[in-house]
Amino acid sequence: MSSLETFLSAAIILLPLTYLLAALAYGWLFFAGTERAKRLSTPLLLTGLFLHVAFLAALTFHWAQFPAGDVSQALSVVAFAVGLTYLLVEWRGRDRSTGFWIVSVIFFIQLLSSILRQPEAVAQSALLKNAIFAAHAFLALVAYAAFVMAAAYGFLFLRLYRELKSGLFALFYGKLPPLAALERMMAGALHIGWLALTGAVAIGIFNGYQRYGESGESWVADPMILLTLATWSLYGLALLLRRTQQWQGRQTAIVSVAGLCAILLSLVAVNFLVGNFHSLGPATGQT
Amino acid sequence: MPAAPASRQDLPLLLVGTDHRCAPLELRERVSYAGEAAEELLVHLLARPELGEAVLLSTCNRTEVYVKPRQDEGSYQAVLELAFSSRVPEITEEGRLYVKRGLEAARHLMGVASGLQSMVLGEPEIHGQVKQAATLADAVGTSGTLLRKMFQAALKAGSRARTETAITGGAVSLGYATVELVKAIFKHIEATRILVIGAGETGRLATRNLLDKGAQRITVTNRSADRLADFLEEFPTVDTVDFDQRNSAITVSDLVVVTTGASEPVVTAADVRSAMGRRPGHPLLLVDLGVPRNIEPAASRTENVFLHDIDSLEKLIQRNLKRRREEIPQVEEILEQELDHLNGWFRGLEAEPLIARLQKQAEKVRRQELQSALGNFPPETHDQLDRLTRALVRKILHHPSMRLRGRDGRDTLPHLDLVRELFKLDDEDE
Repeated sequence: MSSLETFLSAAIILLPLTYLLAALAYGWLFFAGTERAKRLSTPLLLTGLFLHVAFLAALTFHWAQFPAGDVSQALSVVAFAVGLTYLLVEWRGRDRSTGFWIVSVIFFIQLLSSILRQPEAVAQSALLKNAIFAAHAFLALVAYAAFVMAAAYGFLFLRLYRELKSGLFALFYGKLPPLAALERMMAGALHIGWLALTGAVAIGIFNGYQRYGESGESWVADPMILLTLATWSLYGLALLLRRTQQWQGRQTAIVSVAGLCAILLSLVAVNFLVGNFHSLGPATGQT
Repeated sequence: MPAAPASRQDLPLLLVGTDHRCAPLELRERVSYAGEAAEELLVHLLARPELGEAVLLSTCNRTEVYVKPRQDEGSYQAVLELAFSSRVPEITEEGRLYVKRGLEAARHLMGVASGLQSMVLGEPEIHGQVKQAATLADAVGTSGTLLRKMFQAALKAGSRARTETAITGGAVSLGYATVELVKAIFKHIEATRILVIGAGETGRLATRNLLDKGAQRITVTNRSADRLADFLEEFPTVDTVDFDQRNSAITVSDLVVVTTGASEPVVTAADVRSAMGRRPGHPLLLVDLGVPRNIEPAASRTENVFLHDIDSLEKLIQRNLKRRREEIPQVEEILEQELDHLNGWFRGLEAEPLIARLQKQAEKVRRQELQSALGNFPPETHDQLDRLTRALVRKILHHPSMRLRGRDGRDTLPHLDLVRELFKLDDEDE
C-alpha cells in the first residue's frame, strides 16, 4: 500500500473522529458554557477542516479527478463545504451557539461517507476529469451543503419556536440566535442551495446534450439526475410557496429538515441499489 | 511545589448592619441615610476616639457601617449608638442587627457587592451603590488606607463576579423578562416596533424597561386621553394612536404589551388572526400583563404568534433565578480569591515597618563594622568596600523581606514578634 493510500485509509477514520471531538467540545460549550470549551471547540473544528482539505486533495491526486466519484466522496465534499461555511458564519457573527448542531451534522455526514467508502467502486470517469463537469459537480455539492445548513437551522428554528410558543423555556431558549435570525439563516441557505443547484442542473443538462445528443434517454434515466431534479423541484416549490403563499418560518423549516432527510436516504439507497454514483459514460480510460 | 494557602490574620475591621432579611421596611427606613444625613453620620463616627476610619453603605434594603476600630473596647457601642439605636431603639432587639469582624466583615462586603446578599439575587445596582458609599467616605475624609483597600477589593470581586459568572444573567422582573423575550425572537430591540396598550403604572414600568434596554419605536394607546397625556409627559419620545385604531397598530407592530384594567379582553383572537393575515411571515409577540387577562388565550393558536401572560413570564423569571443560584459556588470562589489578595496586602502592610527597622538595624551594623575595618585597607579600596558591604547586606535581607511581605507566594511568617525578638528590633536606636 502506498503512503497515499495509507493516508487515505487513516484519514477516513481520523476525520469523523476529529469532527466528533469538535462536536463534543461545541456541545460542552452549548450545555455548560465554560471557557475551556470555548478554547477547544473552534481549534478542533479547524483541525478537522485542515485534515479534510488534505484528504480531499489526496483523493483528487489519487483518482486524478474531482472527488465525486461515488456517494462516499460526494458526502465527504458536502461535509467539508458545510464545515467551511459554518466556520465563516461563526467568524463573521462571533457566535458559536449553533456550533454543536452544525458540527454534529458534519460529523454524521462524514461518518456516513466513511462507512460507505468503497474505493474499488469509485467511478473513474472522463467526465470528472472534465472542467465543466467538475464545475457542475462542485455546484451540486455546494447546493447540498447549503441544504444541510438550511436543515440544521430549520431544526433549531423548530425547537426554539416550540419553546417560545409553549413558554417552556427549556434547553434551547437563551442559547441560540433569535428566532428571526435563525429564519433568515435558514432562508438564506435555501436560496443559495437552490441557486447553486440550478447552476448545477443547467450545466448538467448542457453537458448531457453535448455528450449524448438530443436522445437524452441514456442519461436522463440516471438515478442521480432524477434525484437532483426532484430535489431542485421540491426546494424550488418551497421557495415559491414562501413567496406566493406567505409561508411562515415553521413551514419552511419543516420542508428544510424533511427535504434533507429525503436527500440523504435517497443517496444511500442510490448507492446500494445502483452501486454507482452518476453511472455516466464508460469506465476508466475511455471517453 | 504548589504554595501552601496563606494563613489569614484578622483585619482590624468591624461591621454593624441591618438588611431586608433581619429588619422589616418600617425599621429599615428609619435607619436609612442619604445626602447630608449620611455625611453627618460619617463625621460623627470619626469624631469618636474609638474609631479610626468609617464608611456607610445605606440603600433601600440595607444600612451597614464599616469601621476600623482604634481600640476594641467601645467601638461597637459607638457605632450602635450613633447609627442605629439613636434613631430606632428597638433595632437592638435580637436578630435585627448583625455584627461581623475582621475578614468576615470583608467577605460580607464582597458578597454584597457581588449581589449575593441582594433581595433579588445578582441584582447589579448594588455594585454602583457600594462604589458611591466608598466615594462619599473619601470625599468626607472618613475612609483611610484599610477601608479604601477593602472597598476596592469588594468592587473588584463584584466586577469579576459579573464578568466571569452568570450571576447577573437573565431577566428577573416582568419588564425585563419582556425585553428578554423580544431579544429571543427579534434580532435588535432598537428596530422592534412596540405597541403598549394601557398607560397605567404597569404600562409605564414596561415602557421604562423597554426604553432602558434600547427600544426606539414605541407607540402607546389608552382609552382615557388624560392618562395618556400624563404618560406622554413622562415619555415624550413615544408615539400615540387612538384606542379605536389599536387593531391597525397591532398589524404593524412586532411586540404588543397589553396592560389595562379592563375586565374583558381588549385584544381578541379574531383581532390577532386578522392582523397576522395582513402581515404574513412576521412573528408577533403578545405580552399580557393584565389581571384579568387582556388578550384572549386562543390568540396563541395563530401561527407565528407568541402569547405570554404573567404566569408565563414568572416561569421565565424563576428559570433565570435558578440559573443565578447555580452560579453562587463560582462567585464564592472569586470572593475567596479576592479575600486572599486582601489578606496578603494587609500582611504586607503590617510587615513594612518591621522590614524598615530590620534594614535600618542591618545598615547600622554594616557602618559600624566597616568603620572599624577600613583602617586595615588602602584608601583607594574604601569605596569598593562600601559598595561590597552594601550589596552583601541587601542580598542577605532580600529573601527575609520578601517572606515578611508575603510576596513570594508562600505563607508569611506568622509571628512577626519572633522576627522582632530574633533581631532585637525593639531596641531603641543609639
